[in-house]
Amino acid sequence: MRHFTLALRIVRKSPFVSTVAVLSLALGIGANAAIFSLFDQLLLRALPVAAPHELVNLSAPGPKPGSTTCNQQGSCEEIFSYPMYRDLERSQSVLTGLVAHRAFGGSFAVRDEPFTAEGVWVSGSYFPTLGIQPAIGRLLGPADDEVPGAHDVVVISHALWMERYGGAPSAIGERLVVNGVSYTIVGVAPANFEGATIGSRPLAWLPLSMYPNTGTPQPLFESRRRYWLYVFGRLKPGVTLEQASTALNTLYSPILADVEAPLQEGMSDATMQRFVTRRIEVTPGQRGQSNIHREAKTPLLMLFSVTGIVLLIACANVANLLLARGAGRATEMGVRLALGASRRQLVTQLLTEAVVLALLGGVASLFVAHWTLHLIGTLLPPIATESLSLSLQPSVMLFAGLLALGTGVVFGLFPALHSTRADLISAIRAGASQMTGGKAASRFRTTLVTVQVALSMALLVSAGLFIKSLTNVSRVELGADIDQLVTFAISPGRAGYDSTRASAFLARVEEELATIPGVTGVTSALVPLLAGNNWGTDVRVQGFAHGPDIDANARLNRVGPGYLATMGMSLLAGREFTHADVLGATPVALVNETFAAKFGLGRDAVGKFMGIDGDDSLTVQIVGLMKDAKYSDVKDPVPPLFFTPWRQVANTTYLVFYVRSSLPSAQLLAAIPPLMRRLDATIPVEELKTMPQQVRENVFLDRMISILSAAFAVLATLLAGIGLYGVLSYSVTQRTREIGVRVALGANAARVRALILRQVALMVGIGGLLGITVALALGRAAQSLLFGLEGHDPLVFAASVLLLALVAFAAGYAPARRAAAIDPMQALRYD
Amino acid sequence: MTTTETPLIHMRGIRKVFHTDEVETHALSDVHFDIHEGEYVAISGPSGCGKTTLLSILGLLDTPSAGEYSIAGESVARLAPVDRARVRNQQIGFIFQAFNLIGDLTVFENVELPLTYRDMAASERRDRVQAALEKVGMTHRARHFPAQLSGGQQQRVAVARAVAGEPAILLADEPTGNLDSKNGESVMELLRELHAGGASICMVTHDVRYVAHADREVALFDGKIVAAHEPSPAMR
Ligand SMILES: Nc1ncnc2c1ncn2[C@@H]1O[C@H](COP(=O)(O)OP(=O)(O)O)[C@@H](O)[C@H]1O
Ligand SMILES: [Mg+2]
Repeated sequence: MRHFTLALRIVRKSPFVSTVAVLSLALGIGANAAIFSLFDQLLLRALPVAAPHELVNLSAPGPKPGSTTCNQQGSCEEIFSYPMYRDLERSQSVLTGLVAHRAFGGSFAVRDEPFTAEGVWVSGSYFPTLGIQPAIGRLLGPADDEVPGAHDVVVISHALWMERYGGAPSAIGERLVVNGVSYTIVGVAPANFEGATIGSRPLAWLPLSMYPNTGTPQPLFESRRRYWLYVFGRLKPGVTLEQASTALNTLYSPILADVEAPLQEGMSDATMQRFVTRRIEVTPGQRGQSNIHREAKTPLLMLFSVTGIVLLIACANVANLLLARGAGRATEMGVRLALGASRRQLVTQLLTEAVVLALLGGVASLFVAHWTLHLIGTLLPPIATESLSLSLQPSVMLFAGLLALGTGVVFGLFPALHSTRADLISAIRAGASQMTGGKAASRFRTTLVTVQVALSMALLVSAGLFIKSLTNVSRVELGADIDQLVTFAISPGRAGYDSTRASAFLARVEEELATIPGVTGVTSALVPLLAGNNWGTDVRVQGFAHGPDIDANARLNRVGPGYLATMGMSLLAGREFTHADVLGATPVALVNETFAAKFGLGRDAVGKFMGIDGDDSLTVQIVGLMKDAKYSDVKDPVPPLFFTPWRQVANTTYLVFYVRSSLPSAQLLAAIPPLMRRLDATIPVEELKTMPQQVRENVFLDRMISILSAAFAVLATLLAGIGLYGVLSYSVTQRTREIGVRVALGANAARVRALILRQVALMVGIGGLLGITVALALGRAAQSLLFGLEGHDPLVFAASVLLLALVAFAAGYAPARRAAAIDPMQALRYD
Repeated sequence: MTTTETPLIHMRGIRKVFHTDEVETHALSDVHFDIHEGEYVAISGPSGCGKTTLLSILGLLDTPSAGEYSIAGESVARLAPVDRARVRNQQIGFIFQAFNLIGDLTVFENVELPLTYRDMAASERRDRVQAALEKVGMTHRARHFPAQLSGGQQQRVAVARAVAGEPAILLADEPTGNLDSKNGESVMELLRELHAGGASICMVTHDVRYVAHADREVALFDGKIVAAHEPSPAMR
C-alpha cells in the first residue's frame, strides 16, 4: 500500500511522462480489446449449452451431384440430404443425439404486424441434444418432428419475446405467422441462446417436419440428391472423435454404395469412385456451425496482429519513458541503496509504478475499445451488427485488465532492474562518468525505438496494401450504373400468396413503382445483384458437346423487362426482354460474353438455342448478347451467365426490385415503404437500400480492414514518433556535455543537427529494413485479403518508407534544434 | 619573449555582465589584455573572479557584453555563429579541467574530432592525429577508449586533441584541477614542452606552482585585472 501511494504520487509528479504512457497503453490495449471482442464472439466462444465440448460437427466432402443449397451455417461440403440424415440418426450408436438444422430468412407476423427475420428449421433432437432449458414454456422435442406438416408449434427467441410480447408469459399459446403459416408458441429459448450458428440471430425455431416438403422430381424429404441440411451431434461419454468417425462411416459407406450410387446418372467412373469413397468427417463442434469461423479467421488474425503490434509499440514507449525517468532518479535510487534499501524493495516500488500506469492505461483503454467497436459497427453491414455485440462485455474488460497488468509487469521490469543496478552508488559519486555512463540503457532505448520504427513500418506497409486493395476494389468495372439506383425485395409468397396471385402482385408493384415522381426506370430480378448470392445450373447449348464430367455450369437470373436498360448494363447484340416475353410465348434467354465464350457461341449467340436444368431439348432461344457485368460479388470474376424472363415461369413468389430515379435516392427510399403499405401492408419491405450501399456492403471486409489497419497504422506511427522524440530528447540531455565539447571544438549548428539526425537516420534505416521484412511476411499472410495487387507492391513500400521518414524527421527535428542550441559553456563549467 | 606589432590576442574594454533573476553579475569589467605569439600566459585569481568567463570569451564560446576583441588582427567580437565555429575550430585549441573526452569515441577519434569539422582528407587527418599523439606520448593508446585510461592519460589525449588542429593558441582551464599532483606535474611539463616548441598558451590556474611555468601572470580579482607581471625568477 505504501508502494501504491508513493507510485500514485510519482505518477502525478511527472504528468508528461504519465500522460504519454497512459495514452500509449490506452491505445494499445484498447485496440486489442476491441479486436479481442470480435475474436472472442466469432472464433473462440463456445455455444451457451450444456458441455459444449462434447458437440461435434459432421461433414462429407466430395462430389454431390444434384442440388446443393448452402448458407451461412457452413460450406457446401458440410451439407447432407434429408434421407441420409434420417438414416444416420436412426442407426448411429456413438452419439447421444444427431441434429439437423437449416437457417432461413422469412417473413414473420406477430398480431398482423409483419417483419422479416431469421428462423431455423430444427430436427426434434435439436434442443434435447443441446441440453438447454426454456425461459418459459417448453422447447421442441422428437414428438414435434414426427409427421410432416402436422406440428404447427414454434419456440421463439428471448429477444423476440421481450420485443414483441414484452416478456409476458401470456405469449405462450399465441400465434406466430412464419412465411404465411401460423404456429402456436410453445416456449421461449433462454436469453443467452441464439442458435447454433454464430453470426445469425434467429427469432424462432420451427420443427423440421414443417419444412415445405415440395420439389421436383421428388419432394425434399425423399430426395437423396438434394443436399440442404447441416448436421451436428453430441458424443456419448467416453467416445472419441476417431471412434465416432469410424462408427458413422461404417453406416455411411454401405448407404452410399448400395442405395445412393444406383441413383446417380451419367457419372463417369472416376467421379463415381470419388462419390462412393466419400467419408464423414467429425470435427469439434463446441462453437456451433458457421461460415464465420472460416471467413472471419484470416481478417481477424490480421487485425489482431496489427493491434498486437500497436500494443508492442505502446509498450516500448512506456518502457522508454520509465527508463528515462529511472535515469532522472538515479541519484534517488543510489541514495536509497546507500541507505540500505534492498534491491528487491526498489524493484517492487518501480514495478508498482509501472503497474499503476498500466492499470490507468487499462481503464482509459476501455474508452478506446468502445470507440473502436463503434467504428467497426459503422463499417459492418447491418446483418453483422445485429448478431454481434459491439459493446464492452465482461470478457473484454477482463482481457483489457489482464493485458494491462501483463504489460505493466513485463515492460516495467527492465527499467526497474536497470534503474536499481548495483553500480549506482559509485555512479552518483563519480559525476565524471556522465559522459560514458548509461550505455546499456541507451543501447536498450535505441533498440526499443528501432523496433518501434520497424513495427510501424510493417503496419504502414500493410495498411498501404489494404488501402491500395480497397482502391482497386472501388475501381472495379461493375458493368452496371449503380448510382441513382435503389433496391428492395418483397416476397408475397411468404405472406401466403399462391404463385398466380404473387406473380400478379409483383407485376403490379413494377407498374406502381414507375408512377413515383422522378422514377425513370423500374425492373426486377430473382437474384439480387452484388449481394453475394449465386444461382447456378447445368445448361445444354446448341453446338456445345455434353457428357459426364464436362463442365456445363452457368449462373442464371430471372429478370423483368428492361433489366439491362434500368441497370445501366450494355446490350451487344439482339434485344432484351419485353412485356411480350411471358408464359406461353417462345422461351427466351439473354447471355453474357463469358457465357458465349464458354459455350463456343462467340459473337453469334443471338438466334442459337439452349436447354436449362437437365432439359435435354434445346427449346430456349437466345435473343440477346450482353456485355459482361458483375454478378454476385464485386471481387469475383464475371461468371458465364444467362437471364430468362421471370414472367416465363409460373412460380415466382419473391422478387428484388430496382428503381432508377432522377431525384435524390433519399426521396425514393422514403417513398417506397408507404407505396408498398398501400399495396399490401402484410408484406414487409426487405433489404431497402441504395445500390451504392449494397456494393459497399458487398465489399465491407475490404473497407473494414483497410480503414482499421490505416487507423491503427497511423496511431502506431504517431506512437513510434513520440517514442523517437522521447529517446532523442533524452539523449540530447544526456549528451549535453559531449555536444558542448563538440561545439567548443568548432562544430557549427548544422553539424550538431546532423549528429542527432544521423541517429534518427540510423534508427529509421535499421528499423525500416527490419520493418520491410516483417511487412513482406505480413503481406504474404494477407495475400488472400488483397485484391489486384501483390503483397510486395513497390509503390506501397515506397510510400510507407517516405511517410515513416517524414514522421521520424519531424520527431527528430526539435531535439536536433535543441542540441544545436546547446551552450558550449556547458563543457567548460565544472563545479 | 619578443613583442611583435600586432598581438595574437587583443582585448580592449571587455565587459561581461550576467543577468539572472534581476541580479546583475559583473563577471568581467573593462579588461584590457594582449597575448603575443609564442607567449605562455597564466591567468590566476580566486574562485569566482571571472577566469573561466575570460577564457570562454577568449575561446569564442561566449560573447562579451562590450569591448573589442581581435585574433591576429581580425576582429572577432561580432562574428556570425558559423564563423565563430570556424574560428574556434581553426585558431583555438581547448584543454578542459574535466578532460571532456567523448566516451563513445576511441582516443584516435577523439583527437581527430576537430579535424573532421574541416574539409581535410582522411590521410592528412591520420597523419596529424599521429603527430599529435606522438607529441603527448599516447600513440600506443590510439585504439583505447577514454574510460580505459587514467586521468593523466586522458588529459594528455585532450592536449593532443587541442594541438592536432595546429591552432593559433591553446586555452586551458585549470588543466590539472582533476589530477593528482604527479599526473598534474606531467601535464604541465607537456604544456611547457609545447610552449618550447613555439605554441602560444593561455592557461587558467590558481595553483601558484604552475603559474611559475608561464612567461607572464595575469591576476584577476572580482572581474578586473589587478596585476600583470613576469613571474618572479625565484619561482621559476
Ligand atoms: N552563466 C552565468 N550566469 C550567471 N552568472 C555567471 C555565469 N557564469 C559565471 N557567472 C558568474 O560570474 C562570476 C565569474 O565566474 P567564473 O568565470 O566561472 O569564475 P572562475 O572561473 O574564476 O571561478 C561568478 O560570480 C559566477 O557566479
Ligand atoms: Mg572556473
